[in-house]
Amino acid sequence: MKILVVTEHRQGKWNNASFETLAAAQQIAGAASGSVSTVVLGKGISAFTDELASKAVAEVVPVEHDLLSDYTPDGYCIALKQVIESAKPDLVLFPHTYQVRDFAPKLAASLGKGMIGDCVGYRSEGGKLVFVRQMFQGKTVADVTFLGAGPWFASFQAGAFRADLVQAHASGKAPINAVSVQLSATQIRIKPLELFKEAKSAVDLTQAPLIVAIGRGIKAPENIPQAEGVAKAMGAEIAASRPICDEGWLPMERQIGSSGQTVAPKLYLALGISGAIQHVVGMKGARTIVAINKDSNAPIFEIADYGVVGDIFEIMPALIEELQKAK
Amino acid sequence: MTIQREQLEADVLIVGAGPAGLACALHLANLIKTHNASGAKPELSAENIYVLEKGREIGAHQLSGAIMNPKGLAELVPDFKKSAPLDTPVTDSAALFFTEKSSFRFPITPPPFVNTGNYVVSLNKIVKWLGEKVEAAGVNVFKEFGGAQLIYDRDGIGGVITEDKGIDKNGQPKDNYQPGYELKAKITVLAEGTRGSLTKELVTKKKLDNINPQSYGIGIKELWEVQLGKIKPGYVAHTLGWPVPSSMYGGGWIYGLSSNRVSIGLVIALEYADPRFDPHATFQKWKANPFVARMLEGGKLIRYGAKSLPYGGWYSMPKNYFDGGLIIGDSGSFLDSQRLKGIHLAIKSGMLAAETTFEALKSGDTSAKSLSAYQSKIENSYIKKELWKVRNFHQGFAHGQFSGFINTAFQQITGGRGLVDPMRAHAGHEAYKKINGAPAGPRFAGDGKLTFDRLTDVYHSGTRHEEDQPCHLHVTDLNVCATKCIEEYGNPCQYFCPAAVYEMVKEGAGQKLKINFANCVHCKTCDIADPYQIITWVVPEGGGGPNYEGM
Repeated sequence: MKILVVTEHRQGKWNNASFETLAAAQQIAGAASGSVSTVVLGKGISAFTDELASKAVAEVVPVEHDLLSDYTPDGYCIALKQVIESAKPDLVLFPHTYQVRDFAPKLAASLGKGMIGDCVGYRSEGGKLVFVRQMFQGKTVADVTFLGAGPWFASFQAGAFRADLVQAHASGKAPINAVSVQLSATQIRIKPLELFKEAKSAVDLTQAPLIVAIGRGIKAPENIPQAEGVAKAMGAEIAASRPICDEGWLPMERQIGSSGQTVAPKLYLALGISGAIQHVVGMKGARTIVAINKDSNAPIFEIADYGVVGDIFEIMPALIEELQKAK
Repeated sequence: MTIQREQLEADVLIVGAGPAGLACALHLANLIKTHNASGAKPELSAENIYVLEKGREIGAHQLSGAIMNPKGLAELVPDFKKSAPLDTPVTDSAALFFTEKSSFRFPITPPPFVNTGNYVVSLNKIVKWLGEKVEAAGVNVFKEFGGAQLIYDRDGIGGVITEDKGIDKNGQPKDNYQPGYELKAKITVLAEGTRGSLTKELVTKKKLDNINPQSYGIGIKELWEVQLGKIKPGYVAHTLGWPVPSSMYGGGWIYGLSSNRVSIGLVIALEYADPRFDPHATFQKWKANPFVARMLEGGKLIRYGAKSLPYGGWYSMPKNYFDGGLIIGDSGSFLDSQRLKGIHLAIKSGMLAAETTFEALKSGDTSAKSLSAYQSKIENSYIKKELWKVRNFHQGFAHGQFSGFINTAFQQITGGRGLVDPMRAHAGHEAYKKINGAPAGPRFAGDGKLTFDRLTDVYHSGTRHEEDQPCHLHVTDLNVCATKCIEEYGNPCQYFCPAAVYEMVKEGAGQKLKINFANCVHCKTCDIADPYQIITWVVPEGGGGPNYEGM
């Protein structure tokens, strides 16, 4: 059995799942007395090629092209189709990455073949290769196999195989057989822009020593800057009870309570928070709790160390003024 | 966008792992085992039985009083006494009458309230135990998967599609997006429990309703741990009177469990006139009756829950068989509303469905004609015998408790026929009277020790939902809430919901409906009791909902 492993890298770094898939391929080939080739696409990829050549593989196939310097589904599909048509593997394996999810089904379809995605294992059943994939969010597993002639396509879930089990090449270096592909700019319909990462949540409330939290008593989103003013004057983080985040007045990551964060700051100032148990479980560990609420029966006063029965809209400006004076 | 769904095929798909669904699965697996052992053909497999359960685990959404008549379980698991978590046999059955400040015991407990031979149980534990047996028999139970859509086939159904996972609140797929599975089955058994969302759709679409629409009640329950000696295990009491107005149908319960625990609750028929009636607050007031308050004093609330229950009985039973499917348990109206007992009937209906299914699998004929054997099995079983006797019972209370008891008396001496037979019923939501501008009173707050507000109680239900998902309570027209309902009925959803899901909040000069779906305890009351019938309860992302451990 001839196996081709498609590797993945981005910005000069391997996606380590490539080696997990290589390990899987070596194991499959070992049992079926087959051979493993690896392919790497891109521009200026000699370092990648050399590293792959140090592994126990029959050959490394670098595919260099200007139009492959950035990943595009069109470029990868067209290039890999040519590689597969000339190398004629029986099985093409990928790591199940986001990129692979993007192009591999298209590649398989362009060759009129099937693909089994996101596999967690394989086994040989009477000489036939059976892939194992999870269903129902991992509550059960299904055996899936290919009908018809190869090449077959399959991808392995990250972590399904161990990258450290990849075998090194016995004599030091595997042959490198570069393949050139026909690719023209007009075939590529996508222009990659700059890479960006989604910003991680900027705030970690669990680490904040001072927290000013607002509840329904704030009444309207227009009033939130006032509370933020209090927080700023104190050097505190702003947080909220559920209804506020539910309305989208503050982001979810600032929600305190059973469905949000659990915090234990030195000081917790609760502004217009009634103190429903769902909120209290998220902040009762605060060292000092100060609560301001119009309703003297509000349950927040049962756990507050200091309570003020009053209107937050009268108290907030006065508080900001005093805090600024004290500076 | 057409969604690519993975397909799976089963012989039998059971939607819902409650007592009915699990009894069906277990009985069918047992029948298959005997069948295969005899060498008979075709060979069948219990592994081709799939059960869907929307809860985090089997039993998570099970709520009942519960007093269980053991006869259903005895048939299903003959040696059940060896291992079933029966908690405690009933030792004393009392009927109590409450006023605000006092209570007295009826000198003779009326027969429907006598529970000798029955057990006080936690339905959650019973169902969990049953679930282990079902899984051990080789049946696949998929937890955290709800039946979201029916697959129609012939003049019936051919399976269900499970809910899509990983959709954000705006309906867009998230990183963990996973489209629901298309589960096709030769026979699909709807065992969704009370007011099943798929059952409701099917019954409406295929006009399966009986002569009466289904009537419902809501049951609200708290489980308490009380001080030593405050409750005798096996003591059961049903209460009439305060604070339930005599114009309404309902009452309380007190069931003594082992380890100083007591199950208390109140059931109210969802067919009252006052749209601002608050079942949760009424239950809280009931706890303040000195008889209950003394018992709970110094004790601790362990868990809370609420669930609707089908009261309609025999004349509300939908046509429970059709091409490719059957309805069992509460979804199929298998509940004795006089004794408020349904567990044994749910189990029995599941077993009869299993027998019907087994025959159909052998013959290969899964048409309505073949599955109609289920109906004749019901007719010839104790299900019909028990439900027939009380076929007019609940309808007799349409005009309050006084005429209700007179009707009951006549029915008692005529084998259930009573003064009119069949007695007709109206859908409960038609009973509301308009508020005519009457102002709303203050909401019940609770003292935080004996009585609680709804949010505190909801906290004790262990309810959780993924917050970033579409709201699973579909309101067809929010304008109705903000313009029409507010005027006519004062938005009863704010009052009947026992989990504070619905609230009217200020918006500009008016108000709008806010739906706190994450609080939902899956009781289905809103789907039933909304005056305009514009609320549709659908399954949320699997695993969401209450955690009724020990309930």
